[in-house]
This record gives sequence, structure tokens and C-alpha cells, in this order.
Amino acid sequence: MFNLIILLTGLIILIKPLYISFELLAARSIEVEIITVDDLGHLIEDRNGRPLLVNVWATWCAPCREEFPDLVKISNKYGNKIDVVGISVDFPGEIDSKVIPFLKKHNAVFTNYVIKVTEPEDFINLMNKEWSGAVPATFIYDKTGNQIEYLVGKRKFEEFEKVIENLR
Amino acid sequence: MVRKNSLIISLLLVATFAFGAPLKSANGPEKIEDFTLMDYNGLEHSLSDYKDSVAIVILFIATECPVSNAYNERMENINKEYAPKGFAFLGINSNKAEFIDRIKEHAEDNGLTFPILKDEENVIADRFEASVTPEAYVLNSEFEILYQGRIDNSRNESEVVSRDLNSALDEIYAGNEVSKKETKAFGCTIKRI
Repeated sequence: MFNLIILLTGLIILIKPLYISFELLAARSIEVEIITVDDLGHLIEDRNGRPLLVNVWATWCAPCREEFPDLVKISNKYGNKIDVVGISVDFPGEIDSKVIPFLKKHNAVFTNYVIKVTEPEDFINLMNKEWSGAVPATFIYDKTGNQIEYLVGKRKFEEFEKVIENLR
Repeated sequence: MVRKNSLIISLLLVATFAFGAPLKSANGPEKIEDFTLMDYNGLEHSLSDYKDSVAIVILFIATECPVSNAYNERMENINKEYAPKGFAFLGINSNKAEFIDRIKEHAEDNGLTFPILKDEENVIADRFEASVTPEAYVLNSEFEILYQGRIDNSRNESEVVSRDLNSALDEIYAGNEVSKKETKAFGCTIKRI
């Protein structure tokens, strides 16, 4: 019995650092930078032969939160075919307190930025002039940077998948 | 050019320009039909009740949307500044899951003193083609839309550089045409049935 306790204690001492290092690794793997409207424009233009899905979301937006797990699934399944980028419209000052904790909770390791915007219409018009500015909204571009789909409101995995499957 | 040779014609001209030219929007209606909705105290309000106002300011708002809530104080300040000048203010809540009791509590908690109407089944939001909260519409006495869009350019009040709703109201009050008739509102989607 005493040996068993010693053995279990030893195992815990051995495993705990490993567990902590995995946690730290996960924490490090999710980084969120601030992006300007101009830089987002360049990101959309510079396709290098890969299509792009941009999802505009916020931690305060209930339908965005509900949609997010499907985006994570899309990224996991189609990350080799399409770049998936999240653009959060939370405040830049909320990256550490709200955005990263939310992304960690959903194991969202795809690229995410927080948009820094002075004139919202510049951002809205960059994404799509018909867009009202309501979130969530998803914009899908082909490998040359042409927008081929624009989805407003909460969408399902299957809807994203259908568009991606039809990409050439 | 019309010669101002009679008092009647002059008054008609003044009336016309005081209310400005209506919005020619590619995306939404130019004019709203009269409607009646109930506020959170059970009182009915029709647009026609406010026909004699300088203009009617409609604010689509929400109780749980952080963007709309970031504007509570600003909306009330605009109401306090422009209501004495003869503008009428009506809030409308069209979100399907936000009910009368909560709307009343929210208004009291946030010091919103203008009437807030409940748009059951988002019928009125559909007529305006309103999609987000907060979003403002300014109507003349014919219920033509003179301005629609955002209140200002930033949820963060310290970053505001363009007070679009105030500017529109100032122009209307001065008897001028609204120079920027439409802006893109940003915020939470109106949750429809």
C-alpha cells in the first residue's frame, strides 16, 4: 500500500510539469494582433494562390459566439485549402481580457486580429458596400482575391462548407 | 426660380427647406407609413402624433446589445439637447427576446427618458429595413426619411470625431438640407422572429 502511494505521488510529480507545459504551449499558440483597415485590405489582396474566409465577429455578439464553433471546425477541416481569418470588432484594449480567453475556450488556433478603426465606413466598404455593419458577417474570396460570397448573420458549418467545396 | 411675391409662397418654401429633401436610398425605403406602437407603460404612440415636430428621431435600440448600451448616455444627451428645440424622440425595440418589463427596467436603469416602443414581431423594423442597434432615422412631417444611419463614428466615445446624427439635426433645425443623408450603422443584429 505504501509503495502504491509512493508510486502515485511520483507519477503526479512527473505528469504535472508536462500538463503545465501543454497549457503554456496552448496559451502561446493563440496570439491576436491589431490590424488596420489598410492592412486588412492588403491581406485580402495578397492571396498567393490561396482562397480566404474572413469572419467578422465580437465577444459581445451572441450569434457570433454561437457561430464560432462551426468556424473552428471549418478551419480544422479546410485549413489546408483556405486561409481562415477572424476579425474581431472588440476594442483593441480587450485582446487579453476578452478576445484571447474566448479563442482559447474554443481552441481557435486560426489567425485572428482585432480591427483598429477610426471610420467604420472605411471598414464596412472594404468588406462589402452592401454590408450594413451587422455582425457576424463572413466574406469569402477566391485565390485571386475576388469576393465570391458574402454571408450576413449566424451561419452553419454546412453553409460555409458548401461555398468552400465549390472553390476552384 | 420662384419669385417670393407672396407670403404664402414664402412660407411654403420655408416649410419645404426646413424639412430638407428626403433620402434617396438605394437600399431602403424613402418614406414610412404611419404606424402605432405601444410603449412600456402601455401608452400608444403613432407617428402622426408627432407630425408637428421639427422632425421625428427614431432610434432602434436594444437592452442587451453592448454597442447600443454604449450609446445610452449619448442618446439621452441628444434627446435632452434637441427635444427642447422641437424634435420628437422615439426609441423602438424590435428584438424578439426583449420584452416590455425588461425594456422598462433598462430605460429606468440607464436614464432614458424618451418613449421606448415595443415592436412586436419586428413589423416596424422590417418597414424601415433596420438591421442593427443602435440605428437612427430622422423623419419629416410627411414621414420621409431625412437621415438614416449611425449616431456617430465610434462605440468608444473618446474616439468620436463625427457626430453624424447631431449634424443632421443641426442642419434640419437650421432649415438646411441634410448634407450626409445616409451612413452605415454598426452594432448588433436586430433579432427577428
